[in-house]
Amino acid sequence: MTELRAGSPRRPRLIIAAAAAMAAGLLISGCGGGAAPQGADNAAAADPASGANASGSINVCGGKDASGIYKGTAEQFTKANGKVTAKYTEIGATTDEARTQTVQRLEGKSTECDIFLTDVIWTSEFASQGWLLDQTKLVESSKDRLIPSTVETTKYEDKYWASPFFTNAGLVYYQKDKVAKPETWQQLYAEAAKAPGNGYVYQGKQYEGLTVNFLEMLYSAGGEVLNDKGEVTIDSPETREVLEFMSNGLKDGSADRAVLTYNEDPTRLAYESGNFGYQRNWPHVYRLLNATPLAGSFGVAPLPAWEGGKASGVLGGWNLAISAHSTNQAGAVAFIDFATTPEWQKHVAMDYSQAPVNEAAYSDAAVLQKMPFATELLASVKGAKPRPVSPVYPQISQAIYKNVYAVLSGTASAEDAVKSMAEEINTAKASF
Amino acid sequence: MATKALSPGRTVNGRDQAERRLAVRMTAPALALMALVAAVPIGYAIWLSLNQYSVRTAGLSRFVGLENYVAALSSPEWWAAFGQTFLFAALSVSLELVLGTGMALLLNLAFKGRAVLRTVVLLPYAIVTVVSAITWQTMFQPNMGLVTNVLSALGLPGGDVVWLGEHGYAMAVIVLADVWKTTPFAALIILAGLQVISAETYEAAELDGASKWQTFVHITLPLLRPAIVLAAIFRTMDALRVFDLPFVLTRGANGTESMSMLAYTQLRENRLVGEGSALSILTFLTVMVVSVIYIRFAGGNIREAGKEEQ
Repeated sequence: MTELRAGSPRRPRLIIAAAAAMAAGLLISGCGGGAAPQGADNAAAADPASGANASGSINVCGGKDASGIYKGTAEQFTKANGKVTAKYTEIGATTDEARTQTVQRLEGKSTECDIFLTDVIWTSEFASQGWLLDQTKLVESSKDRLIPSTVETTKYEDKYWASPFFTNAGLVYYQKDKVAKPETWQQLYAEAAKAPGNGYVYQGKQYEGLTVNFLEMLYSAGGEVLNDKGEVTIDSPETREVLEFMSNGLKDGSADRAVLTYNEDPTRLAYESGNFGYQRNWPHVYRLLNATPLAGSFGVAPLPAWEGGKASGVLGGWNLAISAHSTNQAGAVAFIDFATTPEWQKHVAMDYSQAPVNEAAYSDAAVLQKMPFATELLASVKGAKPRPVSPVYPQISQAIYKNVYAVLSGTASAEDAVKSMAEEINTAKASF
Repeated sequence: MATKALSPGRTVNGRDQAERRLAVRMTAPALALMALVAAVPIGYAIWLSLNQYSVRTAGLSRFVGLENYVAALSSPEWWAAFGQTFLFAALSVSLELVLGTGMALLLNLAFKGRAVLRTVVLLPYAIVTVVSAITWQTMFQPNMGLVTNVLSALGLPGGDVVWLGEHGYAMAVIVLADVWKTTPFAALIILAGLQVISAETYEAAELDGASKWQTFVHITLPLLRPAIVLAAIFRTMDALRVFDLPFVLTRGANGTESMSMLAYTQLRENRLVGEGSALSILTFLTVMVVSVIYIRFAGGNIREAGKEEQ
């Protein structure tokens, strides 16, 4: 090895000093992020009158635009308004990714997006952090033309934090030539087990969708996660019954075991192969199924009832929230005004096969022609109940889908799963 | 009284010190840069892990000392993820080393188009892991995936298996996806090691009448050890931090959650910054301890081999 010799080195003091200064700068900026507590109480409010005088441009951000509704609404709004230009920016391929990206922007006080598409389950969390503009006045002015349960999903601590855009409720698609329209879950499972081509596919992957699929059955069986006082009441005979039912369905072949890896899209693709009798999916699938050879041979039904109980469901859907850091709040208000008009709500159904938040749209002749199941859909929306409302909803949902998955995949008994579900939800609720 | 005897030593010491000062000056910029990109974020993460940040009220936090660590270390999830991550690392790294050695030996042969082939085998490594993971997921999809369809068509077992829906099978797919992607990387490092072995050694062995197998076992493998150990260190560090493969393929279902995924869930999905940071630091410490063990036990081999070569 060559030996290093002391020659007459140049003095790198300047460099050292510069590097040290940079390091110190980073330390200060890195640790100085602690802002004063800001919450839902100190949030600024949107002015409903401001929309009329709006100008400039706005950016609407959200997840993958599978039905084309986000880009379509932005384009049509720009045309109709004349003064405000809207564009849609996709910030995540899945709902989970979109949430992570949204949280990152809101936490970082980014001004990139004026409006965020928010899932109905995000309202409490985002509002409690003071990330959203208070839309109470705006919602009060549009409330009369909106379905009450969809308005409820924008509420946190007696204020409204978003405006409903379109709603969502699970539906059962069935092959009319092979199986009957399901009245009860028990009947659906029995029918599905009769022949290999009758099987039922749903979203059984370990993710939010499984929480929804499970709660749809739990609600119709009369069970619940939290009671009116917010206490955890999931440890109940109903929960055990539903878990056993779902688990038996996988064992006796009513439901294909592949559902353990399915979210919405693989469910649809599997059903499109023609090898199944039933699928549970969202309304937008109707349009996609109609573009396949199955067109005309499938029916659409609201979710069935539990035997001896009533039909229920879980309310989904997307709201429009204005970022607290938006630089064009008036433009955002104008956009929301447009999106919730009865006229545009008809297009929500006709052009994108999504469920409107305006009740009159469901009985409109033009809508019924494009969406023949609008009556069933409205019944589903009205019968659907919200998921637990809490700022720690993500943890509550994980407690549900991880334990349900354990039962479905056969690694835990229903009894153990119910206990740990309740315990984990209690821990989540105690989060600081 | 002893000044005379000591004086030569002193000059040496004086030179030593001057050299040491020089060394400090010359490494200072690099150290400052390291501090900037490594020490500062790690230090900040440690600070975060000693606090709890409210998920209910923005900006509210409290100092909790080691509470987050105690909670993590007493949770079954952490130990499950710990065990699964090590299982994954052991399986994937050993397969990659064996296959990588084989691949390197082939690439070391003189044949037409060798340069092209060397580039081509690197392709899987150039593909973004998330993209290849989605491809694997599609191929193992029940009913419609390529792998399941081919297996059923050939009447082989596995065609009707829900690969990503059961622990053993899901782990096998994750290991396969990793081996497919990173074997070329291991091969490349081992190939570099192969090329250092001088042709004379082989000629001597041939003159002594050694068989191909004897040459491989007694010459190639021992001389290749430093390169293999180096590849093992790199791959193990990476494998212990695995995130993208289980995240895309199973979302951590069927007991395939890794340590990094656990930290991600707490940090990003649940916004439990303190708890998540503690998990990140634990993952970091685990990887560090393993590195130190490797370098202590296998590092000697690298040095020894270096001496032998000299």
